[in-house]
This record gives sequence, C-alpha cells and structure tokens, in this order.
Amino acid sequence: MRFLLTKVGLLVLTLWAAITLNFLLPRLMPGSPADAAIAKLAQNGPVSNATRASIEAQLGVPTGSMFDQYLQYLGNVAQFDFGVSYTFFPQSVAGLVGAALPWTLVLVGLVTIVAFIAGTLLGVLAAWKRGTWLDTLPTVGGTFASAFPYFWTALLLLFFLGYVLGWFPTSGAYGRGATPEFTGAFLLDALYHSLLPATTILITSLGGWILGMRSTMINTLGDDYVTFAEANGLRPRTVAIRYAARNAILPNLTSFGLALGGVVGGSLLVERVFNYPGVGYLLYTAVVNQDFPLMQGLFLIITISVLMANFIVDILYGILDPRTRR
Amino acid sequence: MNEPLLSVRDLSVVYEPRGGDPVPAVTGATFELQQGDFVGLVGESGSGKSTLGFALTGLSKPPARVSAGSILFNGVDIAGLSLADLRVQRHGGFAMVLQSGMNALNPVRSIRNHFYDIFAAHGHVSRADREERAKVLVGKVELPSSVLDRFAGELSGGMRQRVSIALALSLEPKLMIFDEPTTALDVLVQHAVMNTIRELQAAEKFTAVLISHDLGMVLEVTERVMVMHEGLIVEDNTAAAILAAPQHPYTQMLLSHYGDPRAEVVEVPGLAVRGTARNVSSRVASREGRAAREAIVVSGVSKVYPPPRRGEKPVQAVSNVSFTLEPGASMALVGASGSGKSTIAKMITGVERPTSGTIRFGDLQVDTIKRRSLKRLHTEVQMVFQDPYAALNPLHTVEYILMRPILNFSQRRGQDARRRMLELLDTVGLTPVEQFAARLPHQLSGGQRQRVVIARALASDPQVIIADEPVSMLDVSLRAGLLALLDSLRETWGVSMLYITHDLLSARLVTDQIMVLNHGAVVEEGATASVLRNPQDDYTIRLLEAIPHPQTDR
Repeated sequence: MRFLLTKVGLLVLTLWAAITLNFLLPRLMPGSPADAAIAKLAQNGPVSNATRASIEAQLGVPTGSMFDQYLQYLGNVAQFDFGVSYTFFPQSVAGLVGAALPWTLVLVGLVTIVAFIAGTLLGVLAAWKRGTWLDTLPTVGGTFASAFPYFWTALLLLFFLGYVLGWFPTSGAYGRGATPEFTGAFLLDALYHSLLPATTILITSLGGWILGMRSTMINTLGDDYVTFAEANGLRPRTVAIRYAARNAILPNLTSFGLALGGVVGGSLLVERVFNYPGVGYLLYTAVVNQDFPLMQGLFLIITISVLMANFIVDILYGILDPRTRR
Repeated sequence: MNEPLLSVRDLSVVYEPRGGDPVPAVTGATFELQQGDFVGLVGESGSGKSTLGFALTGLSKPPARVSAGSILFNGVDIAGLSLADLRVQRHGGFAMVLQSGMNALNPVRSIRNHFYDIFAAHGHVSRADREERAKVLVGKVELPSSVLDRFAGELSGGMRQRVSIALALSLEPKLMIFDEPTTALDVLVQHAVMNTIRELQAAEKFTAVLISHDLGMVLEVTERVMVMHEGLIVEDNTAAAILAAPQHPYTQMLLSHYGDPRAEVVEVPGLAVRGTARNVSSRVASREGRAAREAIVVSGVSKVYPPPRRGEKPVQAVSNVSFTLEPGASMALVGASGSGKSTIAKMITGVERPTSGTIRFGDLQVDTIKRRSLKRLHTEVQMVFQDPYAALNPLHTVEYILMRPILNFSQRRGQDARRRMLELLDTVGLTPVEQFAARLPHQLSGGQRQRVVIARALASDPQVIIADEPVSMLDVSLRAGLLALLDSLRETWGVSMLYITHDLLSARLVTDQIMVLNHGAVVEEGATASVLRNPQDDYTIRLLEAIPHPQTDR
C-alpha cells in the first residue's frame, strides 16, 4: 500500500513539473504569438492598427504578472481548456485531441500490448525449445520482419493488399459516409479499417520482443534457481513459467514501458501513411500548419501518456518483483 | 553386506563444447555407497568433483555428457533414464544442494511457494498438510516458520542455504549430494550450517555425499573420503586412514597444506617456519633502497554509513580503531564479513573518509586528503584485491595492465618502462616473462592472475601493500605459493603489509601482528603467534573453533 502511495505521489509531482514546463517554455521565447503573426504580415507591407488590434484580439495578449498567468493556465488545464486551434478554427484543441485520442489509443495501444504479450510468449518458447524449429522460426522470422523500417512495411502492405488485391481499405479509420457511433456495423467497419495499420505495427515490433525475451530467458535458464528447481523434480512447465520466464520478463518490462509511452507520440508515420485520424496524424497537421495551440496541447498529452505508461510499468514491477516493493 | 544404494561403474563424463574437441571431466569413476554412508568428495577446482555430483543426480546438461559407464541407484541405471522418468525418481530418490545456495532460490517466489511447488510436482503431500509440512521442514534446519513468508532477497546467505537444504529434504531423498554447501558463507556461519547438515544426516539416515575443496572440513565431518584429481578418483578410504597415512602423492600434498594456527610452530610447504614473533627492526635495517620508511598511524577512527533505507538506523562499520603499521611490519586484520576490515582498508587508501579520527601516512593526512595528494598516497600505498577474476580488465594484455601504473606513477618511459614491466613479472614468478606479458587475463589461471594483480600493486614501488583476502578465491595448493610470494616481497623489498583475512591459518603464516575485529571494534590485538595460541576474547575463540581441525577431533 505504501509502495502504491509513493508511486502515485511521484506521478502527481512529475505531472505538475511537466505541466509547468509546458507553461514556461513558450514564455521563454521573446514576444507573444500576436507579435509573431504581425511580424510575418509586416514582411509583405505595413500592418494597419485595425489589423493589429484584430490579430491581438484573436490570439490574445498576456496580461498580469507571470504568476497570475500561471494560475490562469493551471485553471485552464484543469478544465481541459487548451485554447482554439488555428488550423481547424473555431474548433477547440481539447475537442480535436479528444476526437483523435481514442483512435490512437485503441489501435496503437492495443497492438503494442498484443505484440508484447505474443512476442514474450514466443520468446519463452524459443528459449525453452532452444535449437529446435520453435526457436529458429520465430527468431529468424522476427529478425527479418523487424529489419524493415516501419513505413516501408506499411507501404508494401498498402500497395499489395490494398491497391493490387483490394482486400483492405487504403485509408481512413472508417468507411466514407459513416459516422462514429456505438453500433455493431460501425465497429466492424472500424475493425476492418484498422487491420492493415495494426498488422504493420505488429510485424515490425514483434521481432524485438521475441529476441529480447529469448535472450533474457536463456540467461535465466542458466541461473542456479532453475537448476535447483530441476534438481527438485518440479514439472518442466512450472520451471519454464514460474521460475525462468517469471524472472526473465522483468528486464523487458522497462522496454515495454518505453514502448507504451511512445504509443501516443510515436504513431505519426503509420497514421500518416494510412490517413488514420489519430493523434500522430493530428500532430503532423499541427506541425505543417504551425498550429501552436494544437501543438502545445498535443505535447502535453504525449508527456502525460509517457508518465502514465511509466506509472503502469512501475506498478507492474511492484506486482511481479517483490524486491521493488520494499 | 547389503545391496549398495548407489553403485557407480566406470563412469566417464565429457564436455563437448560447440565446435571444440571433447574434454574428459570425469574418467572411469567406480565406487559404491551404502545406505546411511556419509562420504566426502574432495578435489581442487577443475578436478571434476562437481561434474561427478551433477552426473550422480541426473543433472548433467550439455555440453557435459555421460559418455560411458553406469550409475545404479537402487538397481536402476539412472544414466539411461528419460528426463520424465528421472523427474519422478527425484521424490524419495536423490536430491542436490548447490554450491551457491545464495542463488538457488527464485527471487520472485516466496519460500512457502518453493515448498508448495515441490509438493505439487510429486504429489506426496496433500494440499491440506502442506503448510504444516513446510513448517516442520524449515524447523529441521533450525529456521522459524516465519521465513515461509519471506523472499530470498530478505534472507541472509546462511538462511538461504538452510532453506535450500530444507527444500532438498522435502523430497524425502535416500541420497543427498551437497556441492560445496558452505563455501560462499562466512566462517562462523559455515560452521553452524555444517553442524546442521551433520545432525540431519545422523537423524534422517540419508546417504550423503559432501563435495568440497576443503579437505580439512571433509575429514572432520565425513567417515569416508574420495579424493579426485584431474577427473580420476585417486584415493578412496576412511577419513581416519587418509589422515593417518595418505597413499596418493596428491592427497599427501593437500594434507600438507593444513595446519593448526594454534600450534607452536606452523609450517606449510614453501613457507618458512614461523615460531614466535621475530624481531622486526633488525630485518628492516638490513634492507636498502625500497624499504618502507614511513608508518601508517590510525588513531581513534570510526566510520558510520548513512542508513541503507529510510527509517533504519545508521550503520556503524568501524568504531574507534587505533593501530600503527610500522615500516616493514606485517599486520593481520582478522574478522568475519561485516566486521569492518575492508572499510578500514578503504579509509587507508583514501577511498572512504572516516567519520571521526585521523589516519596519517608519513606527512600525508589521509583522512582529509585532497584529490591532488591522492596520487602521492597511491604511489606509496597499493591494494591487492580478493577476486583475481574481477580485478583485471579482460580486454587488456598483461603488458598493458602493468604498463599503465608504471607510466602513471613513475618517470620511466619507453624501453625503460617496459624493462620495469618485465622485471615485475619476474619478481612475481611469471616466467618466461615475454610470454606472460603478451597474454590476456582469460589465458591465465587463477593463481597466475593473482600474481599479475600483485605485480600491478608493486608497479609504483609502494611502501605499503594492503592485501584484502588475496588467497581466499584460490585453491589450497596455490595459496601457499602466493603467501610465500607476499612474504618474500616483505623480506626482500621491505614493504609493509596489511593482510586482511578471515583465515586465521594464513594470518599466522605471514604476519607478525594481529588485530581481531568484531562489529567494527578491535576485540583483541598483539603478536600473531601469542594471540592465536592463547586467545582471550570470546569472539577470537569462536573463530578459532570454527576452523576444521581433523587431527584433534579423532
């Protein structure tokens, strides 16, 4: 219990630090967003006072002391108010992120978890049956598949399965004309659209998990407690799972945490290739259009998701390894 | 005579490394064990004793393979059994306690679950009885039943080894093989665990094989001893007969390295006789050049470490220790692990600062030494470390390893420095020097590595050498050679030596002065011979009693 409280406390503290940094960093730059916009216009000719006033009214000019601004900012964050997007004016940043987040979380998040579990199981099997085809096939196959860059695999799948064979839709998260709703037909449609991007992520990340788990597992199999368990005549399955794999998985949890943290921010390429309306695609749009409020909102969401992933892995460690619980 | 419990015929085990030539590890082992025997299996590292032990319990794994012969256990040849049949045999059959019992427990499973796993695997204890049974088993190894809730990381080394003995015992074995069960443990703990094993064997009447490198201990606890050397069982006789009249030259050699530190005169091959303390000053005068000129003066030194975890008490590692290491003298710092002896070494070499008290070496104030003076201190005070396998960078040749300190600490360069390097190799007895200079650490044996470590310590022409358990990782037959080397360095070069050890016999062999530490405090000090022959403090007496002494026992 005390372990959990410490971890939660730590999470709250880092969260506060991240939010504060997100507030401070833009303010360390000279000028305000309005100044930047006006300066840009000024390159093409003189800016009239009316234009200046309307730009300042639209983008806002900082008022009050830094501390007042900070309090106001904290209040806005608490209400998920990150301002209005330039690109999708007059939609709010919170609304845009809120619409994109579920797509990314479900697609990339779920696939990352599935890849970790499947890769770990295959790795355990490969190490346990070392030297047999159960070892060679996943090891060689995994190395081969993960050697391709992310987007290259995506393009190959898109071209052959999408365009040439026409088995799968080539873009979007759901069929043209459909509106997101919780009906069986829509969910099926969404699932159908997600198969190609999901397969891409699975293919490219599975190999890493297999190889990682295989090598730590082989190390653990040489440990004394495994030999001793065998000397005591435990069932092979018990030795493999509860003694070897249980310990071998611990170092891999750290990489799992990194992968989970990268879900929200790291899905840019896949979502771009498949025109998938997730956070990565939104971030791409924001960067291309210099949409600063949207970027700032997205960065905060990405930071928070990394922190949450670390928190989850910390808790997992606490459950799986009694040594960290103290 | 009854049918033997275990009958081994012409057993051979080979190592077949991938892409290498097979190496014989055990050749033609033949012996029988009767029900209730307690037999010792003695040999130095690489003699094949552990390989034989693993073969006897059906645990040989690639690259090791039983290549010939049979192991009849209760009339069944276990060398020919399938893995599945072998697994079933383990209940009521043979069990093994591993060398590094420290790591024999799964760190993420509670002790209770270790027992339950075994009960579930063999089904000999029902779910209803298993808690009670586990309690009885840990009780047998003198542990409270509360350890069942613990994890391996929360137990001391001795407790962990007791738990693994209890686990092996839970199989209700007829044959128990103990592979170096106490090697990694502290002296006093070793003694206690060994006593438990002895009592268990007498009470439970299982047949026991005790595998050890320590002939003295084996002779003390077992009735019959088999001596292994280079894969062959060279001698197999009762303990009494081996003690009285060892037949094989190898056994004779092993036996000659045992001595009682309490004897009037202690002698092992290659080391000069040490009677009562010799006169130090007369020898110092006869030396020239390199002889130590300055004393290390430690006065009232204490070291307190901050608490390891919040809410715990600070750790008092050393409390109020004072001594003077005279130039050219040799002093032993003796104590069990955790007694603070290594902390003292760290403070003398400036690695740690004392919490209070002062340490002086010549005009250097070591306790408040600045980074710039550290180099001067390290020119004069050098360390020899315990583990020769960890003390040398595996990527560098011996030449490189020795050239570094020469270039760092002396003005010699080029050919002059190289000459010095070869001279050092010659001093520590690694000849032909050119050949050894070109080698990498993994091409050297443990003893040779430790000689390189000593040569490295000598590279700066130090006045003082601090040797931290320099021989505890080495085989008995190599120890005497290294101790003799350290001793002769002191004789011929005149360096002072602080010899840190838990081994009272070696302390008696190479030192004149001794200090016994317990929980960071000095409990006894004086001339080595007189302290060990006539110990006053209770702790010193216990340390002395923990040493196996086969002669006086029978």
